[in-house]
Amino acid sequence: MNRHRWPILFPFALCALVGCTKPEAATPVSVSAQALRISQRNEPADLDPVRASLPDEFFVIRALSEGLLGPNPDGGAPLPAAAARFDVSPDGLNYTFHLRDARWSNGESVTAADFVASYRRALTPATAAPKAQLFFPVKNARAFVAGTLADFSAVGFRATDARTLLITLARPLPRFPYYVASGPWIPINPRVVEKFGRTWTQPDHFVGNGPFTLAEWRPQQRIVVKKNSTYRAATAVHLDEIQFIRFDDGDSEERAYRAGQIDITMDVPRTKLATYAQERPAELQRAALAETRFLTFNTRRPPLTDARVRRALSLAIDRKKITEHVLLGHQEPTTRLVPPTLVGRAFRPTPTSEMSPDLSPTDLAEARRLLAEAGFPGGKKFPRLELSAWSHSQTTVLEAIQQMWKLELGLDVALAVRDAKVHVSALRSGDYDIGFITAIPDVADAADLLNRFTAGASENFPQWTDIDFDRALADGDFAAAEQRLLDSAAIAPLYFNTHHWLTSPHVHGWREDALWTRFYSNVFLDEK
Amino acid sequence: MLRFITSRFLQSLLALFLVITATFFMVRFVPGGPFTAEKAVTPEILRNLEAHYGLNKPLWRQYLDYLGSLAHGDLGPSFKYPNRTVNEILSDKLPVSAELGAESLAVALVLGIGLGTLAAIRRNTWVDYLASGFGMTGISIPTFVVGPLLVLALAIHAGWFNASGWYEPADRVLPCLVLGLAYAAPISRLTRGGLLEILHQDFIRTARAKGASEFRVVTRHALRGGLLPVVSFLGPATAGILTGSFVIETIFQVPGVGREFVNSAFNRDYTLVLGTVILYAALIMALNLAVDIAQAWMNPKVRLES
Repeated sequence: MNRHRWPILFPFALCALVGCTKPEAATPVSVSAQALRISQRNEPADLDPVRASLPDEFFVIRALSEGLLGPNPDGGAPLPAAAARFDVSPDGLNYTFHLRDARWSNGESVTAADFVASYRRALTPATAAPKAQLFFPVKNARAFVAGTLADFSAVGFRATDARTLLITLARPLPRFPYYVASGPWIPINPRVVEKFGRTWTQPDHFVGNGPFTLAEWRPQQRIVVKKNSTYRAATAVHLDEIQFIRFDDGDSEERAYRAGQIDITMDVPRTKLATYAQERPAELQRAALAETRFLTFNTRRPPLTDARVRRALSLAIDRKKITEHVLLGHQEPTTRLVPPTLVGRAFRPTPTSEMSPDLSPTDLAEARRLLAEAGFPGGKKFPRLELSAWSHSQTTVLEAIQQMWKLELGLDVALAVRDAKVHVSALRSGDYDIGFITAIPDVADAADLLNRFTAGASENFPQWTDIDFDRALADGDFAAAEQRLLDSAAIAPLYFNTHHWLTSPHVHGWREDALWTRFYSNVFLDEK
Repeated sequence: MLRFITSRFLQSLLALFLVITATFFMVRFVPGGPFTAEKAVTPEILRNLEAHYGLNKPLWRQYLDYLGSLAHGDLGPSFKYPNRTVNEILSDKLPVSAELGAESLAVALVLGIGLGTLAAIRRNTWVDYLASGFGMTGISIPTFVVGPLLVLALAIHAGWFNASGWYEPADRVLPCLVLGLAYAAPISRLTRGGLLEILHQDFIRTARAKGASEFRVVTRHALRGGLLPVVSFLGPATAGILTGSFVIETIFQVPGVGREFVNSAFNRDYTLVLGTVILYAALIMALNLAVDIAQAWMNPKVRLES
């Protein structure tokens, strides 16, 4: 009888075997001592600086190449990178960049002509660079992108010798260095791109001028970069290797962090913030972002056509309650659009956390008065509007606002969460009532945020037009433009966003700025 | 039999064409496009992007162009990943999904048939209750609960495995086990039911009367007929394992087709959506055809009726 039982027991034996495979399997991916393992939450569309558009892509690209200038980890003016220094002509139109003696990872010299060729490629219509607008301050760049100008020599780029690059602007722009430090301004090696075409970003083809070289790219798995010995400042690079390991969601990422598979996460699940703050505070990191989250009112849809109604809705929101009791992540409540990191002292002398008196964050009496004045005393006869967002993680914020409007103003709004692209399309076409949305600038310039609200701009979600706003912006008076926008209450800013992440205790020198730049130089790990 | 197969094959081709057409137009009518982002591109850049991907042509022209290149086996360039084509992406990801599917299916079959057989032979004993209990539990608890629980126990606390990834052979264990368990549960119930029915039939009594051993009765005589319900379940189950592994792929960061499929829909990567839909549709049709043939082979009654 025993003999007959073995086939029945076989599956159990197999499962037991499968379940107990050798324990050394748990060794993490890392091998080298100075190998940093970072979570990569978005698979890069490409590692080509002009084809990339997300911060996640530039996490990797900035490890591989650098532009004339680079972002400043302390948030100030951009720092010299491929260029050692630059001069500005007295009229503010001509910038002369003096390049360092640097080499590409294939040994070739990095020349001014390489930069001009890179910029020409970025602006060529057939390249279809999604962020080409970061070149628009340069003379004739916009016309060349539009295809109305075919002669590139008329565009304001000129290599006067192998190491000198002259850039001419359309008109003076004091914040121009910030544009030069942005991602799409990172050069490519024109000979390599010419030779390999669309496959030039594959590991065996890639050539860059940055601190690391591309060693491995397994799509949806990981990207590995290794120290580039030909890099101009190789002595400041202590890491031998960085692995960018792909994760789809915060939960898998956090589990991998706890299992010791990664050193740096992209974020922390909101439900776990409190636990980490209490139990492992040294690992929980936080940085203020230049990202404003706000409500946009459809100013073409009654009763939101009435500025008093919009102002009443904005005044009834207790922003502090939202950041402290709903978001729990030290976000900064605001009634401003432009985050403090984007503006110099001249723009706004008072710290942003002090709300200006005319824009006091919550004023319920005034809100009720304005609503009554607009013809809706106590919220009577007010139509049921819809408040929409693009992610289920925002539902709690929407619910808090819904309750505030209901309790304080007697208004009933419906909530809706839609797929991100559906949401953005609805806002763009004006097919919504009130929308929750975010603004993340590409470059540390207030104009990047304010330009969205000019008449006819496709990100003008409120569908709002104001001649004085457009004129103030054209004159470069950002403070006046912002004030004009806020006075009209076309939008209701809620808070400046904050970035949370985890850093394993053996990582030192890790820095991030408000625009999602990561700085790999000077990062090192404890020797194990 | 040949006529049966040919006619089923032609039906599948027609269905595939309809699926392609419906998907092509549906994905285009979803609001938002591949270049829709919170930060808009300027009009001149949008024009360049649309020209680059041929989106400036009329929709019917794009449809015909797509069918034309499809006839040559070309699924087009990806809208999201400019340096890769859909063919490259799918040929990169399909082997991973196939491996995950095959290994999970092996776990499911071995475990499911084993437990189901055990339960049928020892009917109404504690063995049966235990096996049936496993079946019910497995059907009721979804993989996105079992997965993280196993990670918590075996990866984070015991430290035997990586919490996620798809690099070493050991990385296969957890995802395949979780996905396999989910399918082992229904298989064990189907096996038990099928076997119980067969074990009461006359030919089994005859076999026993002839003096065949219990082992031989079960493996040679009962299982062949008893597994029929399992085989009809296997077609959709294999398709389900291959296409529905998205959750497992996300929990364990397995670089398979499932994640590409779901992400491509969010990214409005039109060609990649179509490519994965075509792949999945073709797979499901091929598997259903295979099941029909297998059933005909296993059951003389089905064979005669066709």
